[in-house]
Amino acid sequence: MTSRVDRTVGKNVSRVDGHAKVTGQAVYVDDLTTPGALFGGTVRSAVARGTLRGIRKDPSFDWTGITVVTAADIPGDNVVALIEDDQPLLAKDAIRHVYEPVALVACDDPVRLQQAIAAITLDVEPLPPVLSIEDAEAKKQIIYGKDNVQKRYVIEHELGGKTIDELILACDVVVTGRYAVHHQEQMYIEPQGMVAHWQEAGEGAEAGVGDGVHVTGSLQCPFYVHKAMKRAFALEGDRVHIGQAVTGGGFGGKEEYPSILAAHAALLSKVAGKPVRMIYGRKEDIEATTKRHPARIEITTGCTKAGELVALKVECAMDGGAYVTLTPVVLSRGILHAAGAYKWKHARIHGWAVATNTPPNGAFRGFGAPQTIWAIERHMDRIAEKLGKDPLTLRQQNLLAIGAVTVTGQTLTQSVGVVECIEKAVKSSDYFAKRAAYAKPSPAAGSRTRTRRGIGAAVFMHGAGFTGSGERRLKGKVQVDLEPGGRLRVRSASTDIGQGTETIFRQIAADAAELPFDTIEIETPNTSNVPDSGPTVASRTVMVVGSIVGKGAKMIADRVRASGTGDFATLADALLAREKKVSTLVEYEPPVAVQWNDDTYRGDAYPCYAWACDIAEVEVDLDTFETKVIGFWAAQDIGKAIHPIMCAGQVEGGTLQAIGWALYENLVMKDGHILNARMTNYVIPTSKDAPPFTTFLVEHPFSGGPSGAKGVGELPMDGGAPAIAAAVEQAIGALCNDLPLLPEDLFRAKSKSQVARS
Amino acid sequence: MIRFKVNGTVRETDAPPMARLLDVLRVPLGLTGTKEGCGEGECGACSVMLDGVPVNSCLVAVGQCEGREVVTVEGLAHGAELTPLQRAFIEDGGAQCGICTPGMLVAAEALLRRNTSPTDDDVRDAIAGNLCRCTGYQRIVDSIQAAAAAVRAKTSKASKASKAGGETGA
Amino acid sequence: MSAHAPAGLARTEMVCPKTIAEACAVLAQAHRDKRAASLLAGGTDVIVDRHLMPIEKARPLDLVVDLTGVDELTAISERDVAGERHLVFGGGVTYWQLRTDRRVLAAIPMLDAMAKDVGAVQIQTRGTLAGNIATASPAADGVPALMALDGVVKLVSEGGARTVPLDQFFLAYRKTVLAAGELIAEIDVRVPLPGARVTWRKVGTRLAQAISKVALAGVIEEERGTITRARFGVASVAAVTHPLGGVRALAEGKTFKALDRATVDAAIDLEIKPIDDVRSTGAYRLHVAKALVWRALAP
Ligand SMILES: Cc1cc2nc3c(=O)[nH]c(=O)nc-3n(C[C@H](O)[C@H](O)[C@H](O)COP(=O)(O)OP(=O)(O)OC[C@H]3O[C@@H](n4cnc5c(N)ncnc54)[C@H](O)[C@@H]3O)c2cc1C
Ligand code: FES
Ligand code: FES
Repeated sequence: MTSRVDRTVGKNVSRVDGHAKVTGQAVYVDDLTTPGALFGGTVRSAVARGTLRGIRKDPSFDWTGITVVTAADIPGDNVVALIEDDQPLLAKDAIRHVYEPVALVACDDPVRLQQAIAAITLDVEPLPPVLSIEDAEAKKQIIYGKDNVQKRYVIEHELGGKTIDELILACDVVVTGRYAVHHQEQMYIEPQGMVAHWQEAGEGAEAGVGDGVHVTGSLQCPFYVHKAMKRAFALEGDRVHIGQAVTGGGFGGKEEYPSILAAHAALLSKVAGKPVRMIYGRKEDIEATTKRHPARIEITTGCTKAGELVALKVECAMDGGAYVTLTPVVLSRGILHAAGAYKWKHARIHGWAVATNTPPNGAFRGFGAPQTIWAIERHMDRIAEKLGKDPLTLRQQNLLAIGAVTVTGQTLTQSVGVVECIEKAVKSSDYFAKRAAYAKPSPAAGSRTRTRRGIGAAVFMHGAGFTGSGERRLKGKVQVDLEPGGRLRVRSASTDIGQGTETIFRQIAADAAELPFDTIEIETPNTSNVPDSGPTVASRTVMVVGSIVGKGAKMIADRVRASGTGDFATLADALLAREKKVSTLVEYEPPVAVQWNDDTYRGDAYPCYAWACDIAEVEVDLDTFETKVIGFWAAQDIGKAIHPIMCAGQVEGGTLQAIGWALYENLVMKDGHILNARMTNYVIPTSKDAPPFTTFLVEHPFSGGPSGAKGVGELPMDGGAPAIAAAVEQAIGALCNDLPLLPEDLFRAKSKSQVARS
Repeated sequence: MIRFKVNGTVRETDAPPMARLLDVLRVPLGLTGTKEGCGEGECGACSVMLDGVPVNSCLVAVGQCEGREVVTVEGLAHGAELTPLQRAFIEDGGAQCGICTPGMLVAAEALLRRNTSPTDDDVRDAIAGNLCRCTGYQRIVDSIQAAAAAVRAKTSKASKASKAGGETGA
Repeated sequence: MSAHAPAGLARTEMVCPKTIAEACAVLAQAHRDKRAASLLAGGTDVIVDRHLMPIEKARPLDLVVDLTGVDELTAISERDVAGERHLVFGGGVTYWQLRTDRRVLAAIPMLDAMAKDVGAVQIQTRGTLAGNIATASPAADGVPALMALDGVVKLVSEGGARTVPLDQFFLAYRKTVLAAGELIAEIDVRVPLPGARVTWRKVGTRLAQAISKVALAGVIEEERGTITRARFGVASVAAVTHPLGGVRALAEGKTFKALDRATVDAAIDLEIKPIDDVRSTGAYRLHVAKALVWRALAP
């Protein structure tokens, strides 16, 4: 097929938001000018668990011009509407974590605001808190339901009437391991923020804005906020207007939390009668917003002497924190990735999430998968060790492939590029030669530089799009309008949070419509002028929403071209003159072949998977146990790279977050308090810590995605940590089953293994 | 009243002398291109040039700027013409969410002004005070190197041209 | 703007003296008037502290004396002391100056290495040696380097001047001999002899923008196999930057070969008892301090 214009998909077109971003013109939430706006702040509990008896305002403080609101001021339901209704917007009686919001304060002066917050004391009767997974499982204190369990899932695969333990014990080689992962803070460089303006009926008419509540902020999912606001304020949807400001990174952290912040700002605005800005400082952002779920994962496997994997048992416990938030979905994705990229004849995967009195954990890039992939990848290395095999060879021997069946009973029918990923990463990194060389004791190094190197690999996959029947339930929609001059306007709720949605949607729409790239406009998401295309999560934006963007653009372009002969712009204007409005609303239809059963947890867990092989090379100082990543090779099969530079940016950025999680980042908690809620002490990698990346984009197309594209957003978060751990293990010979791998941890592990040996 | 030059223009402020330069730039002067990511000197999102050297504007008291010259991201481009760095950041993936970009550009500009042939290690050292959570830094390093190459190409062309000019004149 | 700002901001006056004498006079006057006054150089410690201070603890300042306009404080000069070469840094010398000053690069590359490890460029262009010393953080990087170079500070006040060796400057955690009305005018360091073993090794939380978990500076000189000088400064292992006088005493006068790891470790055990904090553990710090000292001393 010859195209009327040059195709842009697969090309590195200039980022459409690039100019505004490099000149400082892009408007983020803190850059919005809001004349007359008050500053909003939050009074938090400071106690991990307890009963709120009273809220006292210091009578000696001058309260004029200061607005204080509490749970009693919430007009609708005092809940953060999401999955369960367990989280209040403001605590009324029960306090469930240290940073629980109890009251809100607004004032026109930021210093007085801080003083006012300090002049409010909470009368809280403390109760013994539950602070860890083990505490929760001990059930001495019940803080959620009847057993502290927020959610539980089981996957069973081909047990044939036996127990998984029996099946494992029947194998030649049995390996058991216990793996743990820790919290992770998203640490987007732009803290969370919202500006809210409550306008009573009639008031907003002048500026062309409807009455009701207007909130603009840093967010990923405008319709999540919309839903939460409707409940909290008992409003019809058309009176809630949620818009996105340019957003300085999200990584999942701006998925569910913005609902709370938006409602807080709106509540203050309603009561104070003025616009309110609530922009978190870094400390408050780290303390109050969601983190990655810590997890403890036990794996027992059986395989043959030759290394064929047979049976898998996984027991995975996650720490959900004080409220359910998105934990069930995170847990679900976690257990669906727990078997790794491998074939198993029999499997039982059991996952549960428990409540603790720590800040709620929630969405973070990878969404549960990095936790379980850490465990299975470490476990693969344990099996390899036991068999005396190269760990990558063991993986290659057991890979899923087209025609193979996953542990949920899904037969893979297309788009499995994992073999090519491994080939590319291995060749470019010279993995096997280095692995062999580093296995030999290094020549006696000089006493001044005592370092050793290691190289390690991880192989993994990540389900693209929502789990199971998610897309079928959601029915994401996109609208495409024809505009004068033959331009198309794409309206979707998919936000650009840095990953390039705006640019990529333009590429997809332009190619589908066979129109020049710059005739496509992308509407900035606001719930009042875009349809709900679903949240910007789960690596679904390009594959799912992108596919209907293309479809809608093509439909409109086809109508224009069918309306007569002549150039597109003229035809378009004529059509618009006749019909006034030329527009289409396209709804996503998941491929019919994709079938999933939520009750049995069997079927096609995801429409397709992205695949990858990561290889890390490290140098560890044998005295200080500092690990320097000296090379990183990532080969990732994402179906089709719509914009290769942006895809590579996703891979490298995600990988560096994984490296950070493994080697640098560590949230220090004591009695439910975060002790290092500062950028100085919660340490993410700098440009000097980051390795040079060698990235390969592998393209095994998926028939359901635009031009074959699958998701790329989350996949890169999954493999970095286990690849690093494998390399570190080779370098220093200490077992790395638990994250993080800070120098102190390696020092401890090494001292322990020396004690054990002597 | 504190007077100092911002992006080539003399500006005045009646802010208290201990107010942070960052706040004065962003609020009364309306230059919101300079960002706040931490308020404690760690992230570099607030980087500006003070008398030609990169500093964190969250750590500078505006009173210390009396009579000095500040350049923010808004002052990098020459009118409508973007700098080689700005162009490279757009083309080569240096900017994703963009919140670190203003500070990165300032730090990188300071590097290229003192060294147009930096090694990758020089580049990484020059931007080590600018945290980016999106890119993994590789594309930023590549963007800066692309800009450095563009600057070198331009100066060598210019010097060739001036040499040529000299010859004709002789 | 995030909703944080130091309290009492508006009432803080700033003066910008041009000379050390002027600065001292302003300080003295403030002292007599009982006004709360503070010196301000690069602000990389002061402004962070003020900004992050919880509002209820913030102590309003009446007067800030900005030293960034005092040219005398940014001078780097050379002098000869009893036949030995010394460099003299004005208190306002920044890390960036250390990284770019030819004399420093040639004479004491260790200071370049140290400066490169401080924060990142934006901190190096602002942060000063005097600020580092006056803050008296046990995690400071400049201090151990200057200490190993036998640093001596010159304190100046309206009334006069005095000199204090750096290893006697710190009294306790964040407490120094600096009196009200005094400022750090100069830091004098001895240039190590050619061929000296000069060590700088920082073990931080990451490779830039890092607070030291341990940092060791060492200057070791020998004459025909005998150690004539073994000076150290070590960060983050005690309440103040530690000179490891015990190791010095052990090493000086001995040959490298006569030193063994166990004896050196034992000397270190007697001197420091590092603690656990949010950045590291005491056990790790002790282990690393020993390893680094041994790397500096090993034959
Ligand atoms: C992000 C970041 C990273 C950092 N990284 C490091 C690091 O890696 N290593 C390290 O050691 N430090 C680091 N620091 C701390 C700081 O930069 C240094 O301690 C620096 O040397 C302080 O100098 P300054 O001029 O900025 O001090 P200021 O903040 O201006 O002043 C600090 C103190 O010194 C006093 N003072 C200033 N000048 C004089 C003088 N002439 N006489 C007497 N008193 C004076 C002030 O009154 C104040 O009490 C970092 C800080 C930040 C914000
Ligand atoms: S805001 Fe200034 S360095 Fe982060
Ligand atoms: S581009 Fe988002 S932080 Fe750098």
